[in-house]
Amino acid sequence: MNTGSECDDVRETLLFGRSLDARRARHLDACPACRDEHPVLVTLARTLAADAVPLPADAAVRLQRAAAPLLARNARRATWRSLVRVIGLALLPLPLVVALDAYLLRMAYAWLSAVLPDTLSLFLVLDYTALVALLLTLAYGAIPLLTERQLRLQREESYG
Amino acid sequence: MATDEDLIGGVASGDPHALEELHRRYERPLYQFLYRHTGGRDADDLAQETWLRVVRAAHRFDRSRRFTTWLFQIALNLSRDWHRRAPPLPVGDGDVPGAAFQPDTAADGASGLGSTGATDAGLDARRLLAALPEAQRSVVVLRYFHDCSEDEVAEILGCPRGTVKSRMHHAMSRLTALAREGGERMP
Repeated sequence: MNTGSECDDVRETLLFGRSLDARRARHLDACPACRDEHPVLVTLARTLAADAVPLPADAAVRLQRAAAPLLARNARRATWRSLVRVIGLALLPLPLVVALDAYLLRMAYAWLSAVLPDTLSLFLVLDYTALVALLLTLAYGAIPLLTERQLRLQREESYG
Repeated sequence: MATDEDLIGGVASGDPHALEELHRRYERPLYQFLYRHTGGRDADDLAQETWLRVVRAAHRFDRSRRFTTWLFQIALNLSRDWHRRAPPLPVGDGDVPGAAFQPDTAADGASGLGSTGATDAGLDARRLLAALPEAQRSVVVLRYFHDCSEDEVAEILGCPRGTVKSRMHHAMSRLTALAREGGERMP
């Protein structure tokens, strides 16, 4: 006995313009309703297959133009996200670096003040402190630039 | 070669080349989908808006899903919105069953885009599709023209697989009835 789903299966195959396998062909032979629909479905399949859709000519150019501000916003968002992640990671060892430096400076000052005048010891320690602060500032200041450059290189490698 | 999912990741980081590549891959299927959904009216603008939405929402794309499913979902939502606010057709409205099979002697007034894919039997694919309710048309367009499986169609339409089957069944019945009606009208 033929079921509705078998009929649907055969009719869909005919509508899609595919060839019938043995099982479906047997069903078509045995089912008067499907046999009746067969020529109509073949015509329909031809009609649908003949439907050609023209493509707009300058869609890519228009899209690139319209999407430019949105892409720029995406780029800013992605850079910020990466930046926050990288700076977060970079800040993790900072307390340790500062604590270690403070300890070294105290030790250095104690040692220097034993052999040099206090003012000169203080000057040398402060000089070193300024140098360390400058280096840390430069290192952390370079993070955004390096991150942006790295992201740009990644993009160029992936799709360039 | 970059996968669609890699490319959408690139779009999320603002890469124009990734968008260009995605657009090159899916420009045709997307445009055809929208064109058949709207009968050609505003398909250009809807396709552009679909891509812009893709760019806007790229960072929210779930990489465990297929890009095409997501793309067609966006397009489908836009075309539904379009159907809600579209102005009526000036002549030969495809939703009027009787108007679906007027011999194609004049240019398509609705789309103004020339050939409508009429066959020697006098049937016209675009008018046949226009005569289907929107839900059935989506299923036929996705299944027939885009080779989507029933599961994919169900995911795009956000309905159970059984609903897709039943819509396809009703669509086929309607199409065959219209085709018979159209054939009888031919001289």
